[in-house]
Amino acid sequence: MKKLLIPILALTVLTSYGQNPAPARPQTKTIALMSGTVHVGNGQVIPNGIVLFSNGVITNVVDGTLVKLNLTDVEVIDVSGKHVYPGIISPASTVGLQETGAVRATVDKQEIGILNPNIRSLIAYNTDSEIIPTIRNNGVLITQAMPQGGTVSGSSSVMLADGWNWEDAALVKDDGIWLNWPTYFARNFNFEDFTTEIKKNDKRTQAIDALKSTFADAKAYAALPNPTPSNLKLESMRGLFSGKQNLYVRADYGKDIIEAVTFAKSMGVPRVVIVGGEEANRVTTFLKDNNVPVILSGLHRLPNREDEDVDLPYRMPGILQKAGVLVGLSYADEWWRTRNLPFLAGTAAGFGVTDREEALKMVTSNTAKILGIDKLVGTLEKGKQATLFVSAGDALDMRTNIIEQVFIQGRKVNLDDRHKRLYKTYKDKYEQQK
Amino acid sequence: MIKYFLTGLFTAGLLYSAAAQTTFPRNGVYDERPGVYAFTNATIIVDPQTTLQNATLLIRDGRVEAVGTNVSLPAGAVVADLKGKRIYPALIDIDSDYGMPVMTRTGGPGGGRGGVPQMESNKKGAYYWNQAIQPENDASMIFKANPTQADELRKLGFGAVLTHQHDGIARGTGALVTLADDRENTLVLKPNVTAHYSFSKGSSGQQYPNSMMGVVALIRQAMYDADWYKKGGSKEQANMSLEAFNRNQALPAIFEANDKLGIIRADKIGDEFGVQYVIRSSGDEYQRIDEVKATGASLIVPLNFPQAYDVEDAWDADNVSIAELKHWEMAPMNAGLLAKAAVPFALTTAGLKNKADFWANLRKAIENGLTEEKALAALTTVPAKLIRVDDQLGTLQKGRLANFIITSGNLFSADNVIYENWMRGKQYIVTNKDAADFRGTWNMTIGTQSNLKLNITGKSIEKPEYQILIDTVKITPKVALSGDLISIQVQLDKKKPGTTRLTGYRTGTTIKGDGETPDGKVITWSAERLGTAPASTSATSTTAGPASTTALATVMYPFVGMGNARKPKAETVMIRNATVWTNEKDGILTGADVFVTGGKISKVGKNLPVPADIKVIDGTGKHLTSGIIDEHSHIALMSINEGAQSSSAEVRMADVINPEDINIYRQLAGGVTASQLLHGSANAIGGQSAIVKLKWGEPAEGMLIKGADGFIKFALGENVKQANYPNPGVLTRFPQSRMGVEQVYMDHFTRAKEYAAGWAAYNKLNTKEKASAIAPRRDIELDALAEILANKRFITCHSYVQSEINMLLKVADSLHFKVNTFTHILEGYKLADKMAKHGAGGSSFADWWAYKVEVHDAIPYNAALMHRQGVTVSINSDDAEMARRLNQEAAKTVEYGGMAEEDAWKMVTLNPAKLLHLDSHMGSVKVGKDADLVLWNASPLAIYARPEITMIDGAIYFSLKDEDPKRDAMQAERGRLIQKMLAAKSGGASTTKPTFKRARMWHCEDIEGVLAEGEEEGK
Repeated sequence: MKKLLIPILALTVLTSYGQNPAPARPQTKTIALMSGTVHVGNGQVIPNGIVLFSNGVITNVVDGTLVKLNLTDVEVIDVSGKHVYPGIISPASTVGLQETGAVRATVDKQEIGILNPNIRSLIAYNTDSEIIPTIRNNGVLITQAMPQGGTVSGSSSVMLADGWNWEDAALVKDDGIWLNWPTYFARNFNFEDFTTEIKKNDKRTQAIDALKSTFADAKAYAALPNPTPSNLKLESMRGLFSGKQNLYVRADYGKDIIEAVTFAKSMGVPRVVIVGGEEANRVTTFLKDNNVPVILSGLHRLPNREDEDVDLPYRMPGILQKAGVLVGLSYADEWWRTRNLPFLAGTAAGFGVTDREEALKMVTSNTAKILGIDKLVGTLEKGKQATLFVSAGDALDMRTNIIEQVFIQGRKVNLDDRHKRLYKTYKDKYEQQK
Repeated sequence: MIKYFLTGLFTAGLLYSAAAQTTFPRNGVYDERPGVYAFTNATIIVDPQTTLQNATLLIRDGRVEAVGTNVSLPAGAVVADLKGKRIYPALIDIDSDYGMPVMTRTGGPGGGRGGVPQMESNKKGAYYWNQAIQPENDASMIFKANPTQADELRKLGFGAVLTHQHDGIARGTGALVTLADDRENTLVLKPNVTAHYSFSKGSSGQQYPNSMMGVVALIRQAMYDADWYKKGGSKEQANMSLEAFNRNQALPAIFEANDKLGIIRADKIGDEFGVQYVIRSSGDEYQRIDEVKATGASLIVPLNFPQAYDVEDAWDADNVSIAELKHWEMAPMNAGLLAKAAVPFALTTAGLKNKADFWANLRKAIENGLTEEKALAALTTVPAKLIRVDDQLGTLQKGRLANFIITSGNLFSADNVIYENWMRGKQYIVTNKDAADFRGTWNMTIGTQSNLKLNITGKSIEKPEYQILIDTVKITPKVALSGDLISIQVQLDKKKPGTTRLTGYRTGTTIKGDGETPDGKVITWSAERLGTAPASTSATSTTAGPASTTALATVMYPFVGMGNARKPKAETVMIRNATVWTNEKDGILTGADVFVTGGKISKVGKNLPVPADIKVIDGTGKHLTSGIIDEHSHIALMSINEGAQSSSAEVRMADVINPEDINIYRQLAGGVTASQLLHGSANAIGGQSAIVKLKWGEPAEGMLIKGADGFIKFALGENVKQANYPNPGVLTRFPQSRMGVEQVYMDHFTRAKEYAAGWAAYNKLNTKEKASAIAPRRDIELDALAEILANKRFITCHSYVQSEINMLLKVADSLHFKVNTFTHILEGYKLADKMAKHGAGGSSFADWWAYKVEVHDAIPYNAALMHRQGVTVSINSDDAEMARRLNQEAAKTVEYGGMAEEDAWKMVTLNPAKLLHLDSHMGSVKVGKDADLVLWNASPLAIYARPEITMIDGAIYFSLKDEDPKRDAMQAERGRLIQKMLAAKSGGASTTKPTFKRARMWHCEDIEGVLAEGEEEGK
């Protein structure tokens, strides 16, 4: 009970400022979360588990019924009856890059130009965004800030949902380059009857040719230790060929997926991730054979075609999982809706993914593997960063996703947000009327 | 009666005579001729029911003088022997734009989207205020003969057309003209034959109307205005449009509808004013033939069949929907099905991209079930009758105009040739009927080579096939015929390249001539006819393919892949042993039974007796709830915003319901059973809602909830003041600030009050006083507002920011009306006390925010805070996707604000029923209420929950266990159609690349003509 008071006190103090709470202080004391249901994030559940972390790193995760730990000098937090989860990771996100959709001045998610590999999303990442505290309150603690626009959009970075500025919020800088694959079908909007017509894109060959030459040049450039003249665009693509960076390719249609992956492999890019994948169910064998993971676009969407199964988007993660494809879930550029990402995993569990823990992996450890950050985060395992949260109940269900404590790299995060402040203010208004 | 008689005389008498052009000076000598022609020995089709063999047609001065088998020929008649040939009445097309100018839309300065809005009519003068209403247009005044167009139609067998300017909503009158090449003075048979209407504003660049429901409202208002004008309004103003409108009421009225739903919509407008329109349809009537027939309208039906799709690539072919595949198969069956259903119709060439396809398509329709007799009637007697000229045209009886065609045989046979097309006694030769017939086997000698055989074959003499035989070697020569002259090019030696060229002439059975060999030597040649040629060896292709499988071509309701073969019907059902969320004081019952009969919930309890022979559904481990009601939806609509003016209270969403929207079915799969289909938020006073149940397969009328109270959409904030428009510099629509929004309400309600008072005063007058008074002008916009003031229509107001919500509450209080519901109401939590005091409900999103400035203070705790202040709160979608998981959105109120689960659930069921005044028969599981029920696999608020059965009025509209068989059946049907399409393509049918159209998903922010985020402009 004593622990519960802390955030409430903090909240009261901060109300008058009306701004985001200050980022948390570094962890000084070892913390033990005792007797909670521990969802490891790799499929495993420990019903009466202990999570021990020190200096921001998990030092032990054990079954409390089997193991006794020495808890001297340890801050013990009783979480019995509650659930402990690894921080949820929201890939392909624009959190921090846009604030108010309709106000252009607050949107920094895309740059003009066709080939922009040198554009870096983390530069625009705003740690003071009022969106960020709201997503923490549903357990989303890590986002991938993704650039959009053009054919090659730029590089993304993996960001923590806590930090004074983009430098210290960055977990991994420039984890990959984003490519919008020139689509096989082009969309045409008809102003006469307000329909969208989709037909074969006859301009794509040129776009693909331009990509081929850029990638070929970049690869050749990457072989030079000190190229002159130096070229910012080609320089930024080095990591693609060394396997240091992912190539994230946005593609939905089956043919586009096959072409894009084949293109990347032929260009000597070892790590390719399909993002979107709305028709990935047509190419599961191809994806598995080529060991290509998929970050699905938001499941809470309509089927693409009139005759498509009404629940196909909801069933997509299960279809891919059962075919052996590594799947992560995203909310794409729906920045403020990112807080609903755990519920996408819940939907996946309700529509064909083997079980809830498997669905949880799709927003934690699977995503960490896909992004190449699985040594740092994604599960509650020894050696991983202590980026985790405590929920009153099942975090994948909106009735019980009540986040009570959040730790990011062991730092205890203040859970105040704009919504809670306004809630409190107007509760007070009606209290005063009594 | 007298009036009717006069009209009849008028019709007969007004046809202009074809007499000499006496008023025109002549350059040369007069050349008027007797004009008496006799056609003898012909098979004469006098009308579709009457065929005379070996008969004579006698015409004089452009009219039929006699027709029969015993006609004596007067002296001075030019006689043509038509032995073996036929005469038909010439065809009539009554939806033509022949000789009309092409109209293009011109916007305001800067034109088009993003340009300066054109608020007023560009047609200056004493006309109607709206440019799309031009009943004063008279086709005969703007008609200009066009020889190229005329020739195209003459070749098809048409003699006269009803032409009008296809532009605008009220288009003016049509003129009956012949297709002769002459001065217009002799071509116009009759002006002002018909009055024309459509749903398209055409070249009018005026902002209003910019939606389908606005179009309907405009027509209705114009009709009321015309009535007012007639009854005394003309004393107040001169209006040439309204005068014409009234004049045109005496004429047959033709309404151009865009599709089958448009037929029903047009007919409904007619019903309101006692007008039965003739409706130009689009060719998809077979998909809803019962409802089309029920309109009682005669149709003008096009023959524009879709091309086959290129479906060779299996993945690309996914883009073609089953509905499109089926329409390809069934469109040619349309006319036959209409005839079978006894719907009267005429056929038209309108809608054909290429008019030359007319005969091929008509024959296809005949192969697919249309009888030749009906086809002929639909091109002659029916159109003549529809436009009331059947005493002049359409048959070859005595006294009718001499408009007829001479053919080689049966008009509908593939090898028929139209020889001549006569218009008012004037001959147009399409094909020379006396062309020499070279067909037969000829013994041929070329130079020194004798005993060659020349075979000339072919079904018609128009397209003969040629073959030269040198012993057994077959050579195909190139041949050209011109009268009795013949020229041949042939390579006589297959091994030695080089062409021998021959020219000759025929005399009886002999051809003689000379020519040159490849090396330039002049040679003579000749041929002697031996007899009839052997039958052509090349297989004639018939189109047996499609006709043989049409038995499988059936419609579904609605005409969408996931439509049903039969419409679901109410069943007697017992749901046993379920966890029942009653939404009543019983709370959540476990192990309960619910008995459904006659579309109602008739029993709720434990261990109810199960009658024999009824459907029993095992609810063990499942949850049963009443159906979800979406207070704010824009699905199943063809249009959302009539945003040209700050008030559009006159428009009705019921006019634009699209019962074929797949989102209806998708939402049934999410447990939604009823929705309020709302106007958008483009203006302060929007349009009238349609409150529907999601009865998949029913027409719009069947979806509307009978007896539901009328609602209307209002809107506040950024959309109303056009804050997020892309080109703010050109905006001129009032208001552009929240200050102005208040004045819109004050102004409109003040006017509505005065309007209602005006009518009340008029209605109080006695009969005598009324006779001398002018009734107030009926204004359908003020009608709707007066209903609000009279507490007969209820407001759902789109709102975000507390200041403007407060404003509307004050406006309502000062004018003594109530705001029923604030929708969105994202800052409702800030003044929930005021809302509760006023009695307004709130219908909100669970957690939306951050997408624009006015949602900056939106919080997910809003619903809980409003609820606790005593506001009736519902959670709505405003989004086709979110609507199918409104159960999850309701569950968010448990997460944010700690609502009790039962109360949370009511926010998507009972509370919206209350807000829509439907809670007396919907919204809870209670004996006597409508059986709108959903059976869930888990607690409905769980993220893992999904509906297994969704029932409306006792009929099952969605059943999870039927989904797999349904998908299999769809795949099988798809496979069958694709095979057929592939066969058609390899049989030479032209195909089109697969493209697919996705209907726009509407939100209330969507303004027509303004791109939504993420949409790209088409090239």
